[in-house]
Amino acid sequence: MFFNDIHIRIRFVIIVMIIAFLLIIGKVFYIQVISYNKLSKITEDLWSRKMTINAPRGDIVDRNGNILATSIVTTTIYVVPSQIKDKEKVSKDIAEILNCSYDDVYKYVSKHSSMEIIRKGMDLDSAVADKIDKLGYDGVYLVVDSKRYYPYGDTLAHIIGFVGSDNQGLSGLELTYDSYLKGTNGELKYYSDGKGNKLEIPDSYVSPTKGMTLKLTLDIELVKAVDNELRNATDKYNADAALSIVMNPKTGEILAMGSLPSFDPTNYQNYSEEIINRNLPIWMTFEPGSTFKIITLASTIEEGTVDLFKDTFTDTGAISVDGGTLHCWKHGGHGTQTYLEVVENSCNPGFVSLGNKLGVEKLMSYIKNFGFGSKTGIDLNGEGNGILFKEEAMGPLELATTAFGQGISVTPIQQITAVSAVINGGLLYTPYVVTSVTDDISKAIVFENKPKLKRKVISPETSATARFALESVVSNGTGKNAYIENYRVGGKTGTAQKVKDGKYMVGNYTLSFIGFLPANDPEVIVYVAIDNPKGVTQYGGTVSAPIARSILLSAIETLNIKEQSGGMLKEYSYLDVKYLVVPDVVGMSKSEATKALKDFKVKYSGNGDKVVYMSPSANTFQSVETTITLLLN
Amino acid sequence: MKRGIDKILLIATIIIAIFGLIMIYSASFVWAEYKFNDPYKFVKMQAIFFLVGLIILYILSKLDYHIYLKYANIILLICAILLILVLIPGIGSIRNGSRSWFGIGSLGIQPSEFAKIGLIIYVSKYLTNNKKNMKSIIKGVFPILGVIGFFFAIIMLEPDFGTAMVIVLTLVVLIFTSGVNISFFLKIGLFGLVGIVGLIIAAPYRMKRIVSFLNPWSDPLGSGYQILQSLYAIGPGGLLGQGFLKSRQKYFYLPEPQTDFIFSIISEELGFLGVLIVSFLFLVIFYRGMIISLKSKDMFGKFLAFGLSFGLIIQATLNLMVVVGLIPVTGVTLPFLSYGGSSLLVSMASIGILLNISRNI
Repeated sequence: MFFNDIHIRIRFVIIVMIIAFLLIIGKVFYIQVISYNKLSKITEDLWSRKMTINAPRGDIVDRNGNILATSIVTTTIYVVPSQIKDKEKVSKDIAEILNCSYDDVYKYVSKHSSMEIIRKGMDLDSAVADKIDKLGYDGVYLVVDSKRYYPYGDTLAHIIGFVGSDNQGLSGLELTYDSYLKGTNGELKYYSDGKGNKLEIPDSYVSPTKGMTLKLTLDIELVKAVDNELRNATDKYNADAALSIVMNPKTGEILAMGSLPSFDPTNYQNYSEEIINRNLPIWMTFEPGSTFKIITLASTIEEGTVDLFKDTFTDTGAISVDGGTLHCWKHGGHGTQTYLEVVENSCNPGFVSLGNKLGVEKLMSYIKNFGFGSKTGIDLNGEGNGILFKEEAMGPLELATTAFGQGISVTPIQQITAVSAVINGGLLYTPYVVTSVTDDISKAIVFENKPKLKRKVISPETSATARFALESVVSNGTGKNAYIENYRVGGKTGTAQKVKDGKYMVGNYTLSFIGFLPANDPEVIVYVAIDNPKGVTQYGGTVSAPIARSILLSAIETLNIKEQSGGMLKEYSYLDVKYLVVPDVVGMSKSEATKALKDFKVKYSGNGDKVVYMSPSANTFQSVETTITLLLN
Repeated sequence: MKRGIDKILLIATIIIAIFGLIMIYSASFVWAEYKFNDPYKFVKMQAIFFLVGLIILYILSKLDYHIYLKYANIILLICAILLILVLIPGIGSIRNGSRSWFGIGSLGIQPSEFAKIGLIIYVSKYLTNNKKNMKSIIKGVFPILGVIGFFFAIIMLEPDFGTAMVIVLTLVVLIFTSGVNISFFLKIGLFGLVGIVGLIIAAPYRMKRIVSFLNPWSDPLGSGYQILQSLYAIGPGGLLGQGFLKSRQKYFYLPEPQTDFIFSIISEELGFLGVLIVSFLFLVIFYRGMIISLKSKDMFGKFLAFGLSFGLIIQATLNLMVVVGLIPVTGVTLPFLSYGGSSLLVSMASIGILLNISRNI
C-alpha cells in the first residue's frame, strides 16, 4: 500500500505512452494506406525521369486506301545533364555529327535541369542517329519520334491541312480530326537517385499507340488529274486562281477537290495566311453567272410556267426591266427560240422572262431550298455563306439579274451541291469528305459518315427534264467543248464579271463550267472555275468546259464508267471534226466492209476475205479521222 | 527471493538491436559508398558499438544497482564536467551544427547521451532520499528542478535541443510519479510552453521547423524538405513495403537516412507490417521496464527502472512522431535503430541496469 500512489501514476504513464504509440501507428496507416496513391504518384515522378515517345499520327487515306498523309519514323536526342561527365567532349562530338555549332549543343548539356531535348537533334534520320548511338555516351538518349509526311505535297494541302512542330494538328482535317489522329504518346522511363544518376532498376517502356486512320471520299487519281488540269490552266491563262470540285451527285461524296494557289504543308510558314486559310472551293464567293441558270431552269420546269419545247421567246439582244436595259451576251440577240434553245444558248433576256414568270417569292424559295445563302455543312473548315438579295427588297431588276445569276454570290460547293440535286432526281445532300475513322488496332470503326439527305427540292420528272435540257446544252449549245464521244454529258457554262467595291471590273471574269455524266443517270459531277484568265476569249465555254471535259475523262477512267449509246448527237460547226457511228462489218467480205466504212480510214490485217474482228468495235462514235483496223481470215 | 533476469526484456532488446544493425546497413550503404567508398562503413562501426554495448549490458546486469545510489553525485559531476568540456572549441567538435561531440578519429562520443543516465540516477536517488520533502514544492521540487535546469542550459549551449528535451521530459515525468501535486505539473506545463515560445524567439529556425511541420509543401526544398522526403518514403511502402534493401528514398533523396529518419526507410522497405513489428518491440521493452519498476521492492529501484525505460520510450516516441509528421523536427534519434555509437551504448546500458533491477523483484 506504501507504493499505491506511485503505482497509479506509473500505470497512468503506461496508458499515455500506449496511446501515443497508437497515434503514431494510426498516422503511419494514414500515410501508407489512405494517402498511398497520392504519395506513390508524387514519388514516381520524383524518382523517375520520363522521355515522351511521340505517337505516330494516324494515316489519312483516300477511298481506295492510298496514303495521303502518314508518319515517318525519326529520332530525337534527349540529354540528362547530370549523367554526362565530360560535357565538353560530348558536346563537341554531337555538334560534329549534327553539323551545328558546339554552343548549340553545350547549352543543353550544361543546363541545370533533369532532362533536355536538343533542338537541333530532332527529326534525325536513322543514319545520324546510329552515329550518335555508336558514341555510347552516358546521359545521351535516342528516342523514337515521328514526323508528318505528305506524299502529294501541296495538292491536298487545303483539305488535309498540316501539323505543328509537336505533331499537333493546326489546320484542315489534321485539326478537325486531331483527337482521332493524334494517338497516345508512349514513354521511356528510367529511375534516378536524388543526384540525378541512373539507378540499376530496369527502365520502363510504354509503347506509343498510333493514331486512328482517317478515310476520305477522295480518289487520289482523280485529285491528281484535277490538280494537273488546274495547273495547266493557270499556266496557260495566267489565271489568278483556279478551282475544281468533283462529286458523286447521288451521295454528296467529294471525289476530288483542288484549288490554286496552294501551299506546301511541310513548309506552311513560308505562305501568307490568306493562301493557307482560304480553301477556295468552299470559301470563295462570287457571282455564279450562267451556271446559276440551272436553278432558274429547274424551278421553271417544276412550276410548269413554260413548256420548254413549245413556248418561244424572242431575243432582240436586250430587255428592258424597270427602266433599265439588260443585254444578252450575244450582240443582236438570238432571235426567236424555244425555251429549250434559250437554255442551250444561255440567253439572258430569255432567263429574265423565266424569272418574271416565276416571280420573286417562288424563285427565292427554290434558291433557298437548293441551299444557297447558307452553308452546305461540308465537314471542312472555313466555308463561306454566299449572299442573296433580301426577298422584301427585291424589285424587278433584282429578280431579273438573279434569274440569270448576277447580283448574288455563291460558293462553288453550294453551286455543285445544288446542281447535284437538280440532276439526281431532286434530292439535296450534304457534301462530305470523311468516310470513316478506323482504330488501327481493333479495326473497329469509331466514326462513320453516311450520305446525308437534307430535303427533296424538285420531283424526279423535273430532274429528268432538266437533265435533258442540260445534255442539249452540251450537244447543241454553249457547252459543246465538254462533249465526250460515246458518253452522255450534261452541263452548263458560266461567265461572270467580277465585282470589286460594288462595281463590275473591266475584262476580269470568273469562267466556270459545271458538267456531269452520264446525262441520263449521273455518276459524277464536275465544277470548274478559272478566275481572271488572260489572253483568251473570256467565256466559260471556251476556257472551263475543255478543262471539265478532261476531268470527266479522268473520272470515266478512275471510276470505270461504261460507254453508252443513245445520247444526243452533237451539232457540228464547220470547225468540228465529224463523229459517226461505226457500222458492224464483222462477217462481211472485204469489199462489202470497205463500202460500209467509206466515211472512215480503213486498215487491213491478215490475208483472208472475211472480216473476223474490228477495232474500234462497232456501234461506237468515232471521228472520221479514226483508222478502223479489220482482221481478215 | 532471488530470481533470474527478465528474459523477455533481454530477448526483445537483442532482437531490436540486431534488427537495427540490419536496417542501418540497408539505409546507409548508398550514402556510405558515396562518402567513404565503403558500403559497410556505417554498419561496421555500429556493429562494434553493438558488441561493446553487449559487454556493457552484461556487466551492468551483474552489477548491483544500489552502487549507483552511492556514486550518484560523482557520476553527475563527471557528466557536468564532460558537458562543459565539450563546449570548449578544440576539445568538442561540431557535427550538424552542434558542438556536442568528443571526436576520436571517426568515432565520436556524445556526453549529453551519458548525462541522460547520470541524471536519471541522480533524480531517482533524490526522490528516494527526499520522499517526504516532495510534498513541498519549494523544499522538494525546486532544488531538483534547479539541477535539471542547469543541465538543460548547458546542453542547450551546444545546442542539442532534441536531447535536452528528452532529458527534461523524462525527469519531469519521473518527478511526477513520485507523488508531487498534480496542479504543479499544470503550472510547469504552462511554464514549459512559455519557455518553448521563448526559445523560438531566440532562434527563428525553430519557427521554420514548426511551420514546415504544419505544411511541409509550403517550402518543399527548404524547411519542409526532410519531412516531405520522409512522407515520400513511408507512403509508397504500403502494407508490405518495397522489400528489404529496395528503398528509393535512400538514394540521396532523404539526407543521412541511417540517422534520425531511419524509421522512414524501415516503413518504405517493410511497410505497415514492419512499423507494427518495430512498435511492438518498443512497447514490449517499455512494458517489461514498467513491470520491473512496479515490482521493484525499493524506492530507488522503482524510480530508476521507471526513469530508464521511460527515457527510452519517450525518445522513441518523439522520434517516431517527427518522422510521421505529428510534431516538428526536433533532432531526436531512435534508440537501438538510428546510427550512433553513444546512443546505442547508453540504450544498452539502460537495459543492463534494468536487467539488474529485475533480479531483485
